[in-house]
Amino acid sequence: MAEAAAGVLYRRVRNWSWTALLLAVLSFLVIYPTLMLLLGALTGSNPVVDGYHWTDASLDNFLTVLANPNVHAALGNSLIVCTGGTIIAVGIGLLFAWIVVRTDTPGRRFVAAASMLPLFVPPLVAGVAWSILGSPKTGLVNAILAKIGLDWRINLYSMSGIIFVFGVYYAPYVYMFTASALRNMDPALEEAAEISGAGPVRTLFTVTFPLILPAILSGMLLSFIVMLGIYGVPAVLGAPSNISVLTTYIFQLTSWSPPRYSTAAAVALILMLVTGALVWLQQRLLTGRSFTTVAGKAFRPRALRLGPWRWLTLALAVVYLFVVVVLPTLALMVAAFRKFLFIRDIPSLFDEKQYSWIHFQRLFANQVTINSIINTMEVAVVTAILGGLLAFAIGYTVTRTRLPGRRAVDIISTIPVAIPGLVIGVAYLWAWIGLPGGFYGSIWILAFAFIARFLPDTVKALSSSLMQIHRELEEAAWICGRGTLSTIGSIVLPLARPGVVAAMTLLFVLAIRELGSSLFLYSSGTIVMAVQLLGYYEGGNISVTAAFSLVQMIILAVLIGITNRLTRGAAAGGIGRSG
Amino acid sequence: MSAELKVSGLGKAFTAGRAVVDDVSFTVAAGEIVVLLGPSGCGKTTTLRCVAGLEHPTEGEISLGGEVISAPAKGILLPPRLRNVGMVFQSYAVWPHLTVRQNVAYPLKTRGLSRADMDAKIRQALALVDLESYADRSVTQLSGGQTQRVALARAMVYEPRLLLLDEPLSNLDAQLRLRLRDELRRIIKAVGLTALYVTHEQTEAVVLGDRIGVMRDGKLLQLATAEDLYNRPADLFVAGFTGASNVVPGTVRAHHGAFGEIETASGARLSAWLNEGTPVGERVMVAVRPENIDLVPAADAPNRVTARILERRYQGTHTIYHLDLYGARIEALEMGTAPRHAEGGDVTIALPPTLCWAYPAAEIAP
Ligand SMILES: Nc1ncnc2c1ncn2[C@@H]1O[C@H](COP(=O)(O)OP(=O)(O)OP(=O)(O)O)[C@@H](O)[C@H]1O
Ligand SMILES: [Mg+2]
Repeated sequence: MAEAAAGVLYRRVRNWSWTALLLAVLSFLVIYPTLMLLLGALTGSNPVVDGYHWTDASLDNFLTVLANPNVHAALGNSLIVCTGGTIIAVGIGLLFAWIVVRTDTPGRRFVAAASMLPLFVPPLVAGVAWSILGSPKTGLVNAILAKIGLDWRINLYSMSGIIFVFGVYYAPYVYMFTASALRNMDPALEEAAEISGAGPVRTLFTVTFPLILPAILSGMLLSFIVMLGIYGVPAVLGAPSNISVLTTYIFQLTSWSPPRYSTAAAVALILMLVTGALVWLQQRLLTGRSFTTVAGKAFRPRALRLGPWRWLTLALAVVYLFVVVVLPTLALMVAAFRKFLFIRDIPSLFDEKQYSWIHFQRLFANQVTINSIINTMEVAVVTAILGGLLAFAIGYTVTRTRLPGRRAVDIISTIPVAIPGLVIGVAYLWAWIGLPGGFYGSIWILAFAFIARFLPDTVKALSSSLMQIHRELEEAAWICGRGTLSTIGSIVLPLARPGVVAAMTLLFVLAIRELGSSLFLYSSGTIVMAVQLLGYYEGGNISVTAAFSLVQMIILAVLIGITNRLTRGAAAGGIGRSG
Repeated sequence: MSAELKVSGLGKAFTAGRAVVDDVSFTVAAGEIVVLLGPSGCGKTTTLRCVAGLEHPTEGEISLGGEVISAPAKGILLPPRLRNVGMVFQSYAVWPHLTVRQNVAYPLKTRGLSRADMDAKIRQALALVDLESYADRSVTQLSGGQTQRVALARAMVYEPRLLLLDEPLSNLDAQLRLRLRDELRRIIKAVGLTALYVTHEQTEAVVLGDRIGVMRDGKLLQLATAEDLYNRPADLFVAGFTGASNVVPGTVRAHHGAFGEIETASGARLSAWLNEGTPVGERVMVAVRPENIDLVPAADAPNRVTARILERRYQGTHTIYHLDLYGARIEALEMGTAPRHAEGGDVTIALPPTLCWAYPAAEIAP
């Protein structure tokens, strides 16, 4: 009897110590930095000078920041560019979803691929490319317009410039949601409308769109959320004309001298609250009733005959691909390979004597470039391995065990969904900058911030691959007398390995792209590629910036290709959420 | 308002050269219900969708009430919305974002009726399908049978010239299906609609249709009343599809009016209904239904023979005997809960010549 009681007690202690361990790790990664951000928002102090004092926390600091007209301007700008960008994204995304799923446009596979491709272009690179193309004075497009004698000019260094770039690059979010909703919708629903006497347009607006409305809203909110947290595009396009949005304003605050850490924390908190509210709304929409999900039913595709119009729809896709990928890549190539960006006349654009590898040589002659690549790889490897393992542990605990406290683990691990990368950066800055020990400024703080930032997506991906492993496979191992750990090692891990590997490679790619949180956490010794690229841009050397952009695009393209292989094409969705 | 549907030489190929519907011609008189019956994939739905205008035929002509609505050779193709036909889809396709009333109102709205007219028509349609008290419910809260009736009301509310139904009962459970198929016929007849109905259920076809068309591989094999179909199947496929599962091979030896004398593998001769054009010496297949075999024949009954019982399968309400007859294995059915014959014994039976149908063996597709 006493032995049995001791056994129960032992098991209980063991179970609790596992969840306690997970909770401790999550507190370290998520809770503590978030609390510190809160503290930062509520005090007026500088943690580097004053240390941390909860005693002088009060709402006053936060309210002062709220009343600051600069904050209002940044918030207003953020809302304007994100709203504008979202409207364009919805237009493009919905149009292409309809073209791909519901029409007989030739080359629909190509259109589908074109609609997803922009996801893989890092926002900072897109911003740089479009600043080369569309800066009001030296932009390539303007130069060409001038040479061919047109009076028309474009200016990407403006609100509408940011809106345009946001809109075209974040259309895939709307596309992803709406295309799959359309695909899952019984075409008979639309045919019934036609039989009832409705024309194509009326059918579209009274049946098709209302039916996929949850998906439209969801994609719309997601693209808004992602735009709200993007730093690269507004930094590159907004800075020349002093347009601040929330993200760029937060970074400005920390780069003043002395840095305004507490104001930055307060603005970051505002950004987080807005994002949180939108994420909550989006999750509600997703779990709310959806009209179109008929699990496991395959519908015969319905292709509206467009007649000659189908060449127009194809042309739209070609133009889109040209605008988001071809033109920017050409611009980067021209800038990176031309000795001088100045274009005397159109023929000189094709004069091969004007081109050389000199900017690449200069790029790699700078030791900082090499260091940033090495640092990035180090951070990405640590993020991928530790993040993947942690996500596996959490995913297993939440989906597969009945351990006490697993709900708390689940909830805490999804909190970062609502925290933009930049805000995580500010939170980690607040959490560690005032503490001795050298954590702030090391490779590790970057890796940990990335792990926290991407935790929800990694856990979700792994949980779904874990759920595909039938419980009975595990139970069979228990019956054979294996213990829990031994079962995980011998059954679950081997079966889940493709999922784990896929999650790790995806983390690797995400870590390489990440800019927002790195901005606040790098030191001269740990600078990463994305930050260094921004550095080159701000240093004013467009050619070297373009060269480095191309280098990063190639590294990413290779890695995404590998990831896509490993995840069987799911990389887009994975990268999607994080911007 | 019901109109006559005339389909002639209808052809449809999704990929060039492989016709899914091949030279199908039939007429549905105003107010008549015609059922297209056939195995899965034979092209029933495609035929129906061509009539609806949802599929574009590649050949032939379709006219409704005298108006040609589809004739690819002449470049005529009236879009579905202008055909004024009603359709009940297999999946019902009621719109989940609308209420029952809004679903039924939709086709009226596109026709620009006045409010009062609309309300009256909706009320009438809902009354017809017995759904008045559900008018303001969301359709997602309805049972399968109710959803089906919403689909029916929506298809009939604007008094279409023709009602098209694609297996409207196939998504319902067996009990409900029995009840609704009688109901469906009653409603369609009450309104007096011309209807084209697609199904692969024989009993459904018999109960619902005024006439039944049997399709196979895109071809319409026979279009006739149920009684003709069961007693005069046009070919071996129709015979087999409607349940004549026994087939006896033989050779034509003589003609006696509408009947022929067939020599079977066992040497015994058999009198069967035979097309007069079939030459003597031709190899034929004789089809006969298990329930048409006479197990208590009169002494002078034609085709009277004695056969060995190879196997007896007791089925509760009836018994199936497998007989060794004319060199083939033949099933015979005896009604009643008490079987009269034992396995291994002999039984004397007769095959009524009018219910034995001989078809040239060459006609049988591989
Ligand atoms: N859109 C299409 N594209 C290509 N082939 C098609 C298409 N629609 C139907 N088919 C083919 O046409 C043939 C007939 O299809 P149809 O749907 O008319 O059959 P059905 O008689 O209604 O069968 P079921 O009883 O299974 O509904 C099938 O072989 C099917 O695969
Ligand atoms: Mg069908």
